Amino acid sequence: MTYDSTQSPYIVLNAIRKGYRIGSETVPIFSNLDLEIPRGDFVAIMGPSGSGKSTLLSMLAGIDRPDSGSLCIGTCLLHQMGEAARTAWRAGNMGIVFQFYNLLPMLNAAENVELPLLLRPLSSKERRVRVEKVLDLVGLAGRGNQHPKLMSGGQQQRVGIARAIVTDPPLLLCDEPTGDLDRKSAEDILGMLRVLNKEMGKTIVMVTHDPQAAQYASRTLHLDKGIFTEERRAAR
Amino acid sequence: MNFFGMARKNALRKPLRTALLIICVTVAFLIYGLTASFVNGSQGGASGASENILGVMSAAGRTQPLPISYINRIKAEPDVLAVGYMTRLRGFATVEKNIIPVSAFDPRQLMDVNGKELGLTSQLMERFSENRGKVLVGRALAEAQGWKIGQRITVTSFDVQKQDGSRDWPFDIAGIFEGENASTDTYFVIAQYDYVNAMRSRHKDTVDAFVVRPQQHVAAGELAARIDQQFANSAAPTRTQSEKQFLEAFLRQYADIGLIVNLVVGAAFITLLMIIVNTMVFAVRERNFEIGVLKTLGFSDFRIMILILGETLFIFAVGGGIGLAGAMAFAAFSSPALGLVLSMELFFNAMIMIIALGIATGALPARNALKTPAVTALRAR
Repeated sequence: MTYDSTQSPYIVLNAIRKGYRIGSETVPIFSNLDLEIPRGDFVAIMGPSGSGKSTLLSMLAGIDRPDSGSLCIGTCLLHQMGEAARTAWRAGNMGIVFQFYNLLPMLNAAENVELPLLLRPLSSKERRVRVEKVLDLVGLAGRGNQHPKLMSGGQQQRVGIARAIVTDPPLLLCDEPTGDLDRKSAEDILGMLRVLNKEMGKTIVMVTHDPQAAQYASRTLHLDKGIFTEERRAAR
Repeated sequence: MNFFGMARKNALRKPLRTALLIICVTVAFLIYGLTASFVNGSQGGASGASENILGVMSAAGRTQPLPISYINRIKAEPDVLAVGYMTRLRGFATVEKNIIPVSAFDPRQLMDVNGKELGLTSQLMERFSENRGKVLVGRALAEAQGWKIGQRITVTSFDVQKQDGSRDWPFDIAGIFEGENASTDTYFVIAQYDYVNAMRSRHKDTVDAFVVRPQQHVAAGELAARIDQQFANSAAPTRTQSEKQFLEAFLRQYADIGLIVNLVVGAAFITLLMIIVNTMVFAVRERNFEIGVLKTLGFSDFRIMILILGETLFIFAVGGGIGLAGAMAFAAFSSPALGLVLSMELFFNAMIMIIALGIATGALPARNALKTPAVTALRAR
């Protein structure tokens, strides 16, 4: 179940078909989708509602599967992997940032960040050191004991990002990461994603409705009715 | 933080709901602890009484006397190691409801037949045998009555009259016997047969029962049948049972306590199971979205199942622990007359029930959580 290609892109989608059954009918989302994303790229995916952005992100995250076609990330052929294998793959290879942060309310910030580390054979001390390090990285040093409900939206999203990168995954998927934030907080978060991309080499795929957010990516893909209609590369 | 810590935090996110569930579990295990302790104690029965020691009574009923001479024919049975006779003197001290059971034995025979089980020592027996009016009192009875060694007590018999017409039987306490273990019945007085037999007005030279200790490796049931066969055609046929069978049959005269307890406890636990399963199904359904988030972060089905089972186990461990502790405290501080015995076996059974019910109540909500795909769960918000 490996994809042997030293020079090939990090993410390869080939002839992806995907539809959803509604009653007896199948509504097609993608009929023949192709996409290649090199390692270390920062890609923004834009498009109107219903264009398939979230479905694409779900497939990249391994929580949904294409009906046909191949989906390869790194050396893993996700379309061939079962549910348990994809779950194990997610734990080690991917971080995800949600629009509404999706922090667990009964845990404080540090415990939310620690969650993915519970899946690794680390001592509690090792986990604590890593959590403190990433909270410092996202500008929340010393606020680990604070509960998410007492934090602003921007701070909660920083916790969400810390949780996504605490295992140091090569791939970061962001689902409207600034969709629920004011402009200033949104710029902070996008600046942070850019740092993660430029300085830490993370491959980032970000779904967004916001053209200003998309400007932080190195290229923007427009998705409409299940196909990419336009690609724009950033000037900077 | 670890998985158990997370399960605990999940359980405590709605403190009132969790507190009510814990109270349900506490009450159920308190009921279980007390009723099972009662069965344990009353059938001191069932667990403390020996299966091997046989009691030979009249087949016409336990209140009908047997001739003392039967002892020679029983002793002649080669599989009998020791035999002793006994007569009962049921009475009360001070007030009628303060019932004092008295069993009168021959001291030497008693030591041979039942000395080990009753925890009788040679020093105790020496003091007991000093004169015929001396008695030994069981620890439970002595504590309940506040009796001390050397004290003179008077037991007023319900039905055994003395030759002078009185039913008051004075005794001097020579010692207190402890019983072999905690479940041994020690709520009675051991008096001397010769004293009772000499003083009583009726049924002289008769006994209420013979106590038989079989030789080692002898099947007690077969020996019992042979003894009864010996007296089958006599004027007073016998019925021989083990001490345990006798006590169980005696208690069954009133009701099948074990069955009643099992039904009460069973009903309590089935109700508890339904309440907690129902509550947990809703609690986990409320968290469907969060479970989707955990699955997206890479939590496997197994780990999510552990989280949910951990939550129900936490509720059962806390509730069951409090309930059992309450039952233990009640058993320890209640009057020995109640006969509550919370044995290690009972405690161990309760632990198994806590674990089994914790898993059983978490199984359905866990199954529901596992069958929802992450992508569907994430849309649940």
